[in-house]
Amino acid sequence: MSLESLPNGLRQAIENDHQPVRPLHPAWMRTIFAVAIMAVVLAFVLAKASLRPDIDQLPMWLSWGCSALQLALGILLIGLALRESVPGEGIPRGAVRIAALTALAVQILVGIATSIFSPAIAMPGSGIAPGIGCLKHETAMALPTFAVTLWLVFRALPLRAPTVGLLGGAGATVASDALIHLLCPMSNLSHVLVWHTGAVILFMAVGWTVGATWQRRHFQRDS
Amino acid sequence: MAVDRRAEEQQLTALMIDYQKGDMDAFTGLYDALKRPLIRYLWTFVRNQTMAEDLLQETFLQLHRARQSYTPPRPVRPWIYAITRHVALMHLRSMRRRKEILPDEDLPEVPVPPEVDQLADRRTVQRLLAALPRKAQEVLILHHLLGMSFDEVGQIIGIAPGTAKVRAHRALKKIRENLVEEGA
Repeated sequence: MSLESLPNGLRQAIENDHQPVRPLHPAWMRTIFAVAIMAVVLAFVLAKASLRPDIDQLPMWLSWGCSALQLALGILLIGLALRESVPGEGIPRGAVRIAALTALAVQILVGIATSIFSPAIAMPGSGIAPGIGCLKHETAMALPTFAVTLWLVFRALPLRAPTVGLLGGAGATVASDALIHLLCPMSNLSHVLVWHTGAVILFMAVGWTVGATWQRRHFQRDS
Repeated sequence: MAVDRRAEEQQLTALMIDYQKGDMDAFTGLYDALKRPLIRYLWTFVRNQTMAEDLLQETFLQLHRARQSYTPPRPVRPWIYAITRHVALMHLRSMRRRKEILPDEDLPEVPVPPEVDQLADRRTVQRLLAALPRKAQEVLILHHLLGMSFDEVGQIIGIAPGTAKVRAHRALKKIRENLVEEGA
């Protein structure tokens, strides 16, 4: 048996590159790698920053509890993205929709609960300056995890690359918001919805766009 | 045609592992083992034998570039069929953009398992299969003709196994209804 029995075009392409390759690690192992990067970033920020002033007045389930929930959800979303990036391991479309909507719903519900339970804290100036500050921090914290997730994703062959990008973007920002939730002193609902949830939506959109661009380039280069 | 699915899957897995190690004979082995069923599957998308053969080459090129994304000892077939499906869908999308239409052709000859074959003569079954909507036809072909489990069908298409089962059941029901209507 040899390459000669293959069609010409295929044989020539294969002959140019037949180096041995090492199989990718399973999705759960690649998730651990992305989570390790995330843990380093979040631990660094937590060591440098101070917790929100009303942390002691918030119920435990709302402060550390919701933070843990967001972190777990973020890790789950990254795991789904990495699993979806391998052909034949795709997750049902319904599960993708539920995961993305749950990420947004948790963000909104945590924001509403915080605005209800937190004692009002007056912040100087308008809401835009602290909002932009939160967006910058959230972006800086989410970006390393997001980049590593996308790198791991595109080393495989994501067949629904926009979906994978969206899940990766959501996972990275929801996980970083788990820490922002413990740091940001603003409890008013408009701030949390616009800037914190907005950051999640922004990263989901960026992930979708990156995925769509990759898919267009990867699958149209020969057609 | 009785096929030992487990032995076949083990053989494909062994070929895939050797192929990842750089053995090009293993690649040829994979190509020979999967060529006919993959052309049959591609036909459900393009309904044209020549185009299906072209897409088979494109599929194996994509498979070659992404060979590191297969993780042994997972089943090989869902991995390959998912890539095949994607190549076909991307081709259809590009054809729609260019507004190209290919002439439909007869189905290529493929083994038909007893549960489908017993419904009518082979030619009638193949004609009725071809008349089904693509989504129904795809599930039916993957499960009943190519012998995939509903779990595998779900992994390939990106739907829940239950959804795949319902689609296959409805497709089979539709074929039976059409047979009754035709008085077969």
